[in-house]
Amino acid sequence: MTVEVLFRELCNLNADGQNSVYLRECMPDADFIETPIGGEPYFKDGRPDIIMMGHMSESTQRAVIKKLMPFKSRIEELIDAGTVFLMTGNACEVFCRHISYVTEKTETDALGIFPLDARCDLFDRYNGKQLSVFNGDIKLVGFKSQFSFLFGDNSQFAFAKCERGIGINRESVYEGMRKNNFLGTHLSGPILPLNPLFTEYVMHLAGHGGEAAFREAAMDAYRHHLKEFEDPEVRF
Amino acid sequence: MTAVISQRSEVAAVFLIKRKIKMGKIRFFTAMAAAKLAYFGLRLLGRNATYLPGEIAVHICPDFIGYLTKPETVICVTGTNGKTTTSNLLNSVLTACGYDVLNNSLGSNVHGGIASALLSQSTFSGKPKKKLAVLEVDERSSLLVYKHLTPDFLIVNNIMRDSVKRNAHTEFISYILNTAVPAETKVILNADDIICASLVPQCKNRTYFGVDAEAPATAELPFVRDIVYCPVCGGGLKYDYVRFNHIGRCRCEKCGWGSPERDFTVTAIDRENNTFTVRHDGCDTVLRLVNDNIVNVFNCCGAFALLSRFGLSDETVKNAFEKLEIVKTRLETVKEKDVNITMLLAKGQNPVACTRCYAYAASDNAPNKCILLINDDKEDNIHNSENTCWLYDCDFSYFADESIAEVIFAGPRCKDTYLRALIAGVDPAKIKTCLDTRDGAKLVDFDKCKEIFVFYDNYRVDDAVAVKKTLIQRINGSNVKEK
Repeated sequence: MTVEVLFRELCNLNADGQNSVYLRECMPDADFIETPIGGEPYFKDGRPDIIMMGHMSESTQRAVIKKLMPFKSRIEELIDAGTVFLMTGNACEVFCRHISYVTEKTETDALGIFPLDARCDLFDRYNGKQLSVFNGDIKLVGFKSQFSFLFGDNSQFAFAKCERGIGINRESVYEGMRKNNFLGTHLSGPILPLNPLFTEYVMHLAGHGGEAAFREAAMDAYRHHLKEFEDPEVRF
Repeated sequence: MTAVISQRSEVAAVFLIKRKIKMGKIRFFTAMAAAKLAYFGLRLLGRNATYLPGEIAVHICPDFIGYLTKPETVICVTGTNGKTTTSNLLNSVLTACGYDVLNNSLGSNVHGGIASALLSQSTFSGKPKKKLAVLEVDERSSLLVYKHLTPDFLIVNNIMRDSVKRNAHTEFISYILNTAVPAETKVILNADDIICASLVPQCKNRTYFGVDAEAPATAELPFVRDIVYCPVCGGGLKYDYVRFNHIGRCRCEKCGWGSPERDFTVTAIDRENNTFTVRHDGCDTVLRLVNDNIVNVFNCCGAFALLSRFGLSDETVKNAFEKLEIVKTRLETVKEKDVNITMLLAKGQNPVACTRCYAYAASDNAPNKCILLINDDKEDNIHNSENTCWLYDCDFSYFADESIAEVIFAGPRCKDTYLRALIAGVDPAKIKTCLDTRDGAKLVDFDKCKEIFVFYDNYRVDDAVAVKKTLIQRINGSNVKEK
């Protein structure tokens, strides 16, 4: 089992970097490869089972797009072959069509794998929670802290459907994007430790039969969150 | 014909400008009247009135601060961590030196809070009653505040990751400060924080401070750093040493960009005699160490640098430092029988500040310490569920230290904190949890632990006071009255 963590030295905002730390605990037998932004991605010639990338600043996002653009067809090949991608926070935007940065008055084409466009405004920060259903039966709890929203119709390839909270933008109930085992979501932070059932699903997708680390404690915290998120008294 | 039209346009333009100014003045006086009324009303009710009056004023007149005549000298304090401590140090020294200081130390540091502080010490026509102001300014409010107020001096303690919700990331905060701070402001910057030291390039009058004493021997890089590559050329940064986060001395291996030379340097910390030495312009000054936490050594050095640039002599500052204390709501140590209780404010949602507190406790020489954490955000857990991302940017591995015998997580997020601690390698056998924040005090095992560290969020001061009371009652053998 090989997990490639892309640009963790930069893509770790909102504590996204800790998802791979938790996954290491879940899969102590797996090899973790951390590729720095100046390095060559392992996936270029290798075949990782999971590729992860987390939330980043806007300037890093532009650098990441530049870095990954030459590997676009390889990424598509890996998605088609069933490699698990877990892209959290604004990392998911890297795989969309176009990003406009309205405050910085600049824009960039992204990898274009999903027909969605992002709009990033440094003076329109969104903070919120989300209760959503993933894969029809796994309830997800998570948080969003972001400057950007995605626009376009993702209803046919959404990552999850929201029960509470917003999807890819303030009007949407559909969260993120999914294609085969590519999982992209604006949910950021420790999405794996927060959601042990989802973590186990990701592990199983990649062919690992283990269970979430510190399962009892993780499930206890998850149930507590779920209870709060389902409580109509709790604001969203 | 063209000349006539042009003349008419000019007259119209002048008329419109005059009308705008007049309307602006009317708005200002309306805002001032409403704000003053609110101020006196709140004071009558025994409230501090440190936010609402100003908020009313800027709501009615958005450029309210611009219409006020400013004190002769305005000192502003900003940065991620240490703003309040530094502001308090500056206020105390300046007050001890006979200055009558306008400040916002009791209140809010956002736009409305700054307006409140200024209007509370202004006449109705907007003239200041004091000649000197020391204002703590929230980084995010900089655009609104500095648009209408040019600080004579601005100290920036550091720029690090802070609340995910409010501050996003350090590039965002740097962008705000670089856009907002006027070029004529004299800036005092932390030379050992490369992000801070590179701020506000438009300000040419720059003073750098930092701490050379007790520099770590190695450059072991922590996981959480807010700058990894050179912003000039993208090359890797080579550190001589890192104290924490990205605080240390570094240089780009490719282009040479890096930490600037310091103008004010802490060259020695004498923990036995409780002093530290600051060197500048070839002179050494030995000052009283107000608090031995390294972050407060930085704060004291920054305050010293600013006061020196303001014009106070080293001797004057040294004498004032003799009487300084960190306010009790931020740090207090109580000895009750054979138990020491250290109450330390650890700003929730701020991973670097909290990690510094945890490191401080772990580095304390006492054995069998107990950590009691009441860090959950109060407001975010009332009909809400707090975003727990920040817990994962805190370094909980300090609690795995064998000198820490007991760790208690008290509050609505105790289950998340427990899981976070397990992932960080803390032995579950020494962790206790309770959902009620104040119940944490009932879980301390005094047979095992004689050194108790209570870390509390700044919105949990009331809970911290209650916890301290319960701890003292339990040490003295009194029954704790159940709620």
